[in-house]
Amino acid sequence: MTMQAMINEWYPVGLFSQLDSAGRTTALMGEPIEVARDADGNAKVTGGDGRVLPVRVRYGHVWSSLGEPKKELFPIPEADQPGRRFVDVGVVRVRCSPLRAVENFLDIAHFPFVHTDILGAEPHTEVQNYKVEIREEEDEVWATQVKFYQPQAAKSASGGITTEYMYRVPAPTCSVLYKTCPPRPSEWDVITLFVQPLAEDICDVWPWMALFDDETAMTDLIHFQQTIFLQDRSILENQIPRLLPLDPGMEIPTRADLTSIAYRRWLKRHNYTYGAQLVAQ
Amino acid sequence: MRLSHGFVRGETLSCIYHGWSYGQAGNCLRIPAHPGLTPPETIRVATHDVEETDSVIWVAVGTPASKPPRFDGLTPLRSLTAFAGIAAIEAAAGAKASPEGFVEFDASTGAVCLLLSAWEDGQTLIHVLLKADAGPAAGIRASRAAESLRRRAEGLQREIAQ
Amino acid sequence: MKLYDYILSPSCYKVRLMAALIGVKLDLRPVDFHPGAEHRGPELLVLNPAGSIPIMEDGDLILTESSAILVYLAAKAAPEWLGSGKAEEAARVQQWLSFSGRLTASLGGARLHEMLLRPGDIGALQAQGIAALRELEAGLVEQGLRGMRFLAADRPTIADIACFPYVALAPDGGVTLDAYPAIRLWSRALRALDKFIEMPGIHRLHELKPEPQIEPGEA
Repeated sequence: MTMQAMINEWYPVGLFSQLDSAGRTTALMGEPIEVARDADGNAKVTGGDGRVLPVRVRYGHVWSSLGEPKKELFPIPEADQPGRRFVDVGVVRVRCSPLRAVENFLDIAHFPFVHTDILGAEPHTEVQNYKVEIREEEDEVWATQVKFYQPQAAKSASGGITTEYMYRVPAPTCSVLYKTCPPRPSEWDVITLFVQPLAEDICDVWPWMALFDDETAMTDLIHFQQTIFLQDRSILENQIPRLLPLDPGMEIPTRADLTSIAYRRWLKRHNYTYGAQLVAQ
Repeated sequence: MRLSHGFVRGETLSCIYHGWSYGQAGNCLRIPAHPGLTPPETIRVATHDVEETDSVIWVAVGTPASKPPRFDGLTPLRSLTAFAGIAAIEAAAGAKASPEGFVEFDASTGAVCLLLSAWEDGQTLIHVLLKADAGPAAGIRASRAAESLRRRAEGLQREIAQ
Repeated sequence: MKLYDYILSPSCYKVRLMAALIGVKLDLRPVDFHPGAEHRGPELLVLNPAGSIPIMEDGDLILTESSAILVYLAAKAAPEWLGSGKAEEAARVQQWLSFSGRLTASLGGARLHEMLLRPGDIGALQAQGIAALRELEAGLVEQGLRGMRFLAADRPTIADIACFPYVALAPDGGVTLDAYPAIRLWSRALRALDKFIEMPGIHRLHELKPEPQIEPGEA
């Protein structure tokens, strides 16, 4: 699968708070890279041949690229709002396509079965209709007016509530979720999945959050999000086929899958095929 | 997702991911995300012919030409998996498989039969049956004999590989 | 009883599960194991120089090692989980408690490597894990022949709780449980126990709940 179209994108490669001068070896799309802190305390990323790669530090993470990104890293205005707490959830490695990791994050129909009694529960399994669009100006996939009944929507929720969601895909391996913020109902809590493609069938997932929650201890916030992601991990490692199909084939989507359908269509339009398969099998 | 990760309720098998449930004919009965929807006929999973005979489960790939082999008086003991091919297991047992697929393995513990079935990545499923129900002690000895057989077979397989 | 706990730690889960099954309320003190490495920080090293979790504090008593904490919980609140006291049963409990350390090292080590990027020889860890699973499978087969559904008796004991989590999470480290039918039946028997609780990676057995009936007009 050609990586050309995705080579000029920004990808997360580490937590800024965990950088040291000794550095850490990781990889991007099959190429080993080194992520370290230089003498001035800035993040530095070098490619397998020693060449210096572009670097950004944003949303608690170090970002880099094997190519030359034409756009800046996508904005998340909520990250600049005073009063928010930022949560570095920590990396989890998954043997799955980076695109599958994102697509699962966009799905809500699995909540009662995979995140049982937390994000969903039988018999409240219905996915009501919601709105999906590809916003042409930003060139991003957006799902809005998503609603789901949740027994324990967040660490800050004191009981079952109908949560409202918005989903956003601003880059091929990143997704941003906006959900009802129990302590401040007029604001959104922001939960992100930043996915680092190590290869087409293995990725490092870096979840991050920007929340309004003055009560809950930081460690509890980290653990809540790790719980959710760890419940998804065994599903992700068992999906067939390994690579995300971008052509119609064996699967039959329903109305609940509108976001996934839009995401796959957007990937195909941009030729973002690293981690995808094109021929129906 | 493989349905083997799923769950059985009544006579339906449901997928662990979104809970889509399927009947014995392979048709989809229910999509929990759309409770009011009657799933289209096109949503179905492949099924295979299955028979349970003498405590052994047989699956047919395609349309079977005949019924599964019958055997009288064999008591099923356990199933184990070996990183060895059928040839290595026959060599370790000192016997070849009969036309029905049995390998008679006369462990000093009493006659034991093996039903072998090739699995993925060069592995073999070994189903161990006893010729007589001689009680727990005999069963335990036979189980350990089967483990010894597996050790020998895997050793032989490693030699073949080298 | 205060438990220094990490939600993703199978060893800590042994204690949480035991407590839930016997109705003991724990005061959970979450430890930022990953990414914060708090278990190796100065505060927790005072309590446990080994730098491991779980750690249990009950008044002046500080306990480390999950097996020891299981013994303590059972001895205090539900001694039937220690076994009947007969010599053979007590020995079997001890045998499998000791064995559980190998599951932690092999399957647990594989899981930490595959999931949380900890160092290790993954091939060796997985091979050691498979060897341990085969021994557990054979043990359960033999127990079945003796008319017993669990490792030391026909009822669960702390031996089962000590072995269950790393076995159930073997796939996290790339080791499938497909090859072990007796283990899968034993795992299901434990997961069907009254007051059983899961941990992330061990999902609910939905078959234990009947198909929900949707009333007309209900979402």
